[in-house]
Amino acid sequence: MIRRIVTIPLLIAVFMVFVFALQDYETIYQDSARLFYQTFGYTLTGSLNLVTAIYLDFRLLDTLFEAGVLLIAVTGVSYIAQHEQVEHNPLFMLDKFKIPELFVSLARVIYPIVLLFGIYVVFNGHLAPGGGFQGGSILATSLLILYYIDLKKKTNLQRIFTIEKWLYLALLSVSMISFFTRGVWFTNFVSLESDVIVKSIFLITLNLLIGAKVALGLTAIFIAFLKEGR
Amino acid sequence: MNDWLGLLFQIFLIITALAVVFHKNHFTIIILMSVFSIIAATLYMINQAPDVAIAEAAINAAIIPLIYVIAISRQRELIVYDKLHHGSMDPTQPLVGEIYVYLDQFSLKHKLKLNLCRDLGGNDQTVFKDLNVDVLVDLDKKAKQFILKGKSSNVLMKKMMKDLKGKTNIRFEMLEEGDYLD
Repeated sequence: MIRRIVTIPLLIAVFMVFVFALQDYETIYQDSARLFYQTFGYTLTGSLNLVTAIYLDFRLLDTLFEAGVLLIAVTGVSYIAQHEQVEHNPLFMLDKFKIPELFVSLARVIYPIVLLFGIYVVFNGHLAPGGGFQGGSILATSLLILYYIDLKKKTNLQRIFTIEKWLYLALLSVSMISFFTRGVWFTNFVSLESDVIVKSIFLITLNLLIGAKVALGLTAIFIAFLKEGR
Repeated sequence: MNDWLGLLFQIFLIITALAVVFHKNHFTIIILMSVFSIIAATLYMINQAPDVAIAEAAINAAIIPLIYVIAISRQRELIVYDKLHHGSMDPTQPLVGEIYVYLDQFSLKHKLKLNLCRDLGGNDQTVFKDLNVDVLVDLDKKAKQFILKGKSSNVLMKKMMKDLKGKTNIRFEMLEEGDYLD
């Protein structure tokens, strides 16, 4: 009861702070940054998709930390899910329930299409909506469907973690090349005057690395959930 | 046009959110959450954020429901570790022996699937700590009693203890909560 009495004034106070903050609308939402990205985004980074231009060039350091957060999450899940017991029953619960035939046959048809679409979204991240994270999660979806089609599928979880760590190191090193070629940390390694198509090599490489890392990370979390406690 | 569409989808969003809160069946809730995120993705698309919409549709409408399906189907099983090695007990066959009949009735009563495991190895503490075993079956040769062991944090185990109070040939032991992770 006391908790509720305390909670309601706190909520009202937070709401009032929010309302007062909104009164500085003009200073918060000035559009100088938007205008800068709109006019110079394409020529400076070589990315038609301005979101990709921001997260792979202007604010690459933020993206590296985001990728690190996913890595830490996967490591935490694997730490909690680990156990020393030898698995005698690797089949997971769903083997006891009958998976509908319709779902399995539809999944067989959908799987290659989703895989292809994921790869398309990763490769086209700098031209159309999408990018490494979105494409990687679509790829992960298609990989997860496999576990519903074939219940006895076995995966070496440790190898997935190792590959993901190496991919993160590759991501860091590719984004650091710019220091040796241009003398600036965490940006495109091609000089600013070069052609837009040459610049897009960097974007595609980073999108590929991020896509692979996200797909493997989400799959690893799913497999850890499957194996937990068996 | 887009304003009205956005308003309509926002109303749908609130209705689905309320349905998620008030529904009882777990698997229906998963579908409703998936519907919720698809409506949210459409709203992102209407508000001209296609990148966010793709991420929302891929993660919240596909991956998270798949993980929830696994997590919830885990909760529908009564996992019994049989230390007695009574031949090859097939979970699909009708069970014999008093203890198995009782476990079968208990799982039927609570709408669970009975899963008998054998050959797990390790002592009692590690079995409960590392694997999510609900009940452990053992035999006390001196007193000629069956022993059932369960974790005290498990709600089902309290019901089982109440059930078994009158019986003479089945004894129930509650293992105290140690430094278990879960």
